This record gives sequence, structure tokens and C-alpha cells, in this order.
Amino acid sequence: MRDLVIDVTSLTRRFGAKTALDAVTFSIPRGGVYGLVGANGAGKTTLIRHILGLLRAESGAVRVFGRDPVADPAGVLSRIGYLSEENDLPGWMRVGELIRYQRAFYPAWDDIYAAELRESFQLDAAAKIKDLSKGQKARAGLLIALAYRPELLVLDEPSSGLDPIVRRDILNAVLRTIAEEGRTVLFSSHLLDEVEQVADHVTMIDQGRIAISATLQEIRESHRAGDHVPSLDQIFVNRLRGAVQ
Amino acid sequence: MSPASAIAWEFRARHRWGLLALAAYSLILAAVKLVIVMRGITVTFVDAESFAFADVVPLTATFIYFLSVFTFGLGGDIAARQSMYPARLFTLPLTTGALVFWPMLYGAIAMTALWILSRLAVVWPADVRVPLAWPAFLAASLLAWTQALTWMPYALRGMRVIVTVLWLMIIDTIVMVALNLQAPEPVMIALVAPQIPLAYLVARFAVARARRGDTPDWHAATAGRARTAAPFRSNTQAQLWFEWRQGGRALPLLVALLLPFELAMLVLFRGTPAIAGEMLLLIAFTPPIMAAFVAATMSRPGAFAVMRPMPDTALIAAKLRVAIYSTAATWLLLLATTLIVLRLSGTGTLVADQARQLREIFGTARAVSLVLLALAFVVASTWKLLVQSLFIGMSGRAWLAKASVFGTLTLLAIFPPLAHWALHNHEVMKFVWNGMPWFLGFLVCLKTGAGAWIAHRLHAWHLMSERALLAGALAWNAAVFALFALLAWTVPELLVRHYVLALVAILVTPLARVSAAPLALAWNRHR
Repeated sequence: MRDLVIDVTSLTRRFGAKTALDAVTFSIPRGGVYGLVGANGAGKTTLIRHILGLLRAESGAVRVFGRDPVADPAGVLSRIGYLSEENDLPGWMRVGELIRYQRAFYPAWDDIYAAELRESFQLDAAAKIKDLSKGQKARAGLLIALAYRPELLVLDEPSSGLDPIVRRDILNAVLRTIAEEGRTVLFSSHLLDEVEQVADHVTMIDQGRIAISATLQEIRESHRAGDHVPSLDQIFVNRLRGAVQ
Repeated sequence: MSPASAIAWEFRARHRWGLLALAAYSLILAAVKLVIVMRGITVTFVDAESFAFADVVPLTATFIYFLSVFTFGLGGDIAARQSMYPARLFTLPLTTGALVFWPMLYGAIAMTALWILSRLAVVWPADVRVPLAWPAFLAASLLAWTQALTWMPYALRGMRVIVTVLWLMIIDTIVMVALNLQAPEPVMIALVAPQIPLAYLVARFAVARARRGDTPDWHAATAGRARTAAPFRSNTQAQLWFEWRQGGRALPLLVALLLPFELAMLVLFRGTPAIAGEMLLLIAFTPPIMAAFVAATMSRPGAFAVMRPMPDTALIAAKLRVAIYSTAATWLLLLATTLIVLRLSGTGTLVADQARQLREIFGTARAVSLVLLALAFVVASTWKLLVQSLFIGMSGRAWLAKASVFGTLTLLAIFPPLAHWALHNHEVMKFVWNGMPWFLGFLVCLKTGAGAWIAHRLHAWHLMSERALLAGALAWNAAVFALFALLAWTVPELLVRHYVLALVAILVTPLARVSAAPLALAWNRHR
């Protein structure tokens, strides 16, 4: 049996009349970068919130590192690094305070790595979070998600609305994380060129259902037309058009 | 759609249910009045209570509601430094004057309509002498000042509440003095009406500052200094630091800002024992009163906090402990400064006289225990008021918070006239006094039932172990027994039966609401 980091089985979630996730079954083994792609409202964030234990499974099951993230939030969250588009860092904290506070929760916190990241991201320890630009806030969020070398890094639309330099920093961080043995990245984005750059495996979610889940190579081969190998972007658009038609 | 009608539409659309409820209430009131007139019944307000029920209660509730609506206060953070004027409106192609004018005008119209309606409800068909117009101007000016002061950006967090409350108190005091001097209607209008344009000018200045992002920050003076502190020893210590910085400091700071005014009043009235005594009482009740306001800042879970790799119970435990630190800091500050002022101003002799009388009546031991009990009551009330609404905030459900505010305001509006009416009615008091043990017993059943259900859910959701629940239950029982023993020893049985004291001890010792907090957080954290 494979060593599964995430194991989602027949997960269904409804918000009123809308079915956000419809019998989703999805698993991620240890190691590698897994891209989660889909249109806005497809169900990517809902799936990630279940993985983080922020939503309780109405039906089906979610296991992260073999544990239920709702029953054992501390056990699961202590092994996950998380960065989202909605940067929820407390504005009143200074960068230095944020680092000091965050390190208390993670025994594996690496001070040298944190200092290195802070320097390369050009974050002033005395600056208040609320005074940082959007890109700087994203970098601060990335720093605290990476500095304890989490076993699983979850990035939920981390680059939306950010400039190319910050996006490059995020992609570099993903590459560095996977370079370290045994670590896993779940990268949700609708910027498909980014996913294509770093993902080994792509799961496409459409209207709450898994539409495609395969390695990038397999997806390209299956959509090949003669010598033309379509990009993930083209495959995605064609797939959506097909769904609309 | 013109800008004026767009802003009006926003108020109407956002608050349609509240406005509909008011309209329905007015229609019902009009129908009742119509029946009274058609049947030729003469209505007289023979006492203050019936007047209060007919008019003051709905008037006050609606006044508070209008304050929230027209300041845009229902969706904002009242303690924040930033203006409460919605930032999304700043980008509209309108002058700052227009952004301020229309909400102020609609507010003034609403307040005037409220007064006209209330006056009609009282005067017609009853023959009661009620002022013609100045209360409408007063209501409009109070709203205008509240708008101006809530839209103003401030240099410190929490400063808005203090400035607004103090300023409104000053206006109220001026009006009360004028009423005591029996100022005629034109004088009252001349006193109150000019404040509306003044408030408009202040509001325009406030919104102009907020619009250009000019929010002063007195903390910024220390922004350049990075303090290198030692790492936290544990995640519990880190979480305590987080909670203290986020909301724990608010209560001592708020009390520290109010205390100089109260102590100045105490010194000012040291020659009038009655007023000085009232000022001392006000000082003693300042922390619990302020705790009720500060509680909201302590009970915001926040998306960042819910992602902490900590169990729900540990997150709540940090909040409860910070509430203890906050209460302790507040009371140490209050006791130290008050004792110094009492000694330096010579007001201490008043307190010594009161203490001597108490000792003569109850004996030294009982008098000391009574004073300690009273002190413990206000200190414990401060902590209790800080934490008892945690479960509402922790649930993360806006509808629950709004329902709670509405329920509290309704109770606050209804309870004083109801209590006044009951206290002056011999039959009612007899009924209340005889039925009191049953009523208290009912409340005890309700509380212990809720406590048992919460304990069951805490166990079922794996939030607390059986052992922890048992330890909690034993600690609660010990606290209840200790309080009961102290009450039974202090209060003579001739005055209050011991079983009533036992019921009181059960009711005042926190149980259900505090233990519901981890449950509410888990409900919010894992939706």
C-alpha cells in the first residue's frame, strides 16, 4: 500500500442548494508536486478546506497523514504549511513578532532557514504586517509556511494578484521544498502556466467533480493531436468548452 | 439613479427587515390608538411606568438602532483606528461633502420622524405635556455627533469609544442642566440645533482625512525599533502573548483612560458625601461595565487563529487566562490609583466613616467578609463579563452575534421600567418574592441542564477527556460550595433563606456559557 499523505474518499459537500463537491475521491502519495486546477467556484478551495479540517465532511471521509483533520486539528496542522490568496496574517504584528510567535508552534522550526528566507524576501523585522504591500504580505506568509519544513505544503491560489517577482519566489519555494526528500506540495491555481512549470501530477476539478487526474505527461499524451502537444491551458479551455457545449 | 437616491437605497436595502419591523410596529400602534379614539376612551399616563412602556422603550430601542444604521456601525470594528465610514464609498465620483451630507440628512430625517411618531403616540389621544420639537433636534444632533466621531480616524485603537462616549455625555449633561433650570423650548432648540451643522463640519473633516488615507498612528513612533525578544518557551506561552496583544490590553487601557475623569469628579465633590459615594460606586463598576464593551474584541476568532496547530480547548484556555490577567491588571491599577487619590484628597475619611458604620452593624468579621465579598463580586463580574459572550464570538456566526445584541438591548430597554413598576406595586412584589425560589430553581435547572448537555457534547466531540470534565465539575462544585458557605455565614437566615442562597451561588458561578466556548470554536473551526 502506498504511503498516502492525503486520502479523500467519496467526499460530498453542499452549501444550501449548491453542491460544491460531488463524491470526490482523490489521493496524494508522499513526494512530488500536485497541481489542483479548475475554474473559479469549481470546488478547489472547498476541497482544500476539508483537507485542513476547516470544513467537516458531510459524507465521505478525509484523511491527512492517516488522521482525521477535524478530530485531530493540532496533529494534522502541525505537519502542514499553508498559504492562501486571502492573507489572514494579523496586521498588528511586526514581521519579527510573527516569526517568533509562529516558531513556538513548530518544534522543527529552522531558524537559519527562516533568517535566510527573510533576507532573500527583503522583509524588515520591525515592519508591521499591515504596512506591508500585498506582495510582501505573501512573502511573509510563505516564510512562516516554509520555515518549519512541513511535510505537506498547501498553496491555495498563492499567486493571484501578485507581481511576477513574488510569483517567482513562490515557485522557487515550491521547487526547493520538493528538492528536499519526501516532501509534498499541493498547489491550487488557475494560473495554469505556473502549475505546468512545477507540477508532476494534475487534478482538474469541474463543478465539484474530478474531471481529470493524471500525471502531466499522461494528460498531454491523451490530448495529443498528431504532432501537436497542447498546453495545459489549451486542454483546460477545451475541456471547459466541452462541458459548456 | 442619483447619488442621493443610491445612498438612500443602500440604507433601505441593507436594513429592510429592521425598517419593516419598525413600520409594522408603527401600524399596530396607530391601529390601537384608532380603536382608543373611536371608542372614546380617555388615556392618561398616571405613572412613569406606563409612559415608559408606551413610548420610552420602543423610542430608545429604535434610537439605538438608528445610531447603528446611519453611522454604518453594524458592519465595522468600533475599536479600530480607521474610520468606520465604508472605504468602498470613497471611490465614488462624489465630493466629500456629499458623502457626508446624505447619510447625515437621512439620519436626521429618521430621527425627526421617530420623534414625531413617538410624540403622536403619547399626545394623541392622551393629554400629556410633551415638548414640541427640541427632542427631535437633540436626537438628530446626537446622531450627527456619533456619525462624525465614528467616521473620524484615530491615533490609538479603542480611542473612538472613549471620545464618543465622553462627548455624548457632555451634550447630555448640558441638556440635563438646561432642563433643571427649566429652560423654555426656544432656548432648548437654540442649545441643541446649532450642533447639527457643527457636527457636519467635523464629519466632513473626518471623512476627508479617512478618504486620503490620513490615519494617525501613535504606535508608529516605535515602528523603527525591532525588539529582539527571547523565543517563547512553549506554544501555550506564545498563544497567551498573542491573546494579550490582540485583546487583553484593551480593558486596562480603557479603564486607565476613564479613571482620571472619574477620580477628578471624586475630588471635585469631596465636600458632598452623597455624590462622592456615588462616584466611588461608579469607579467600582467601571471595570465590569467596560468589560462588557471590551468582550467583543476578545472573542474574535479570526482566520489566522483557527489555523493554529492547537486543540480548541487550548485556544479557549489561553483566552480565559488572558481575561484573568486583564482583570487583574485593571483592578490593580484601579485600586492603587483610587487609594492614592482617596488618601491625598482627604476623601478617605468618607470611606472610613462608611466602614465604621458597617462594622457597628455587622461586627468586624462579618463587615470585613461583606466588603471582601463585594470586592470579589465586582472583580469576578469583570472577568465573567469578559468571557461569558466568548461562545457567541467563537461560533463565528454573524446572525448569532446580531441576535445577541438585539436581545441584550431589548432586555436593557424593558428591564428598568419593569423593575420600577414591580418595586412600586405591593401585590406584584409579594408575588415576585413568593415566587422567587421557584423562578431561581427554574433558572438553576436551565443552567445545570445546559451545562450537562455541553459536557456531553464536549466529550462526544473529543474536545475534553472524561477526566478533564470530572476535574472541571469538581472545581465548579467546590466554588459553588465555598460561595454558598460564605453567603450563608454573612447573610442572616432571617433575611434570606439558605436554600435561596444556594440557588444564588449556583447561578452566579460561571458554568454553561464559559464551557460552551470550546464547543462554539469547534463548530466554527470545522464547519
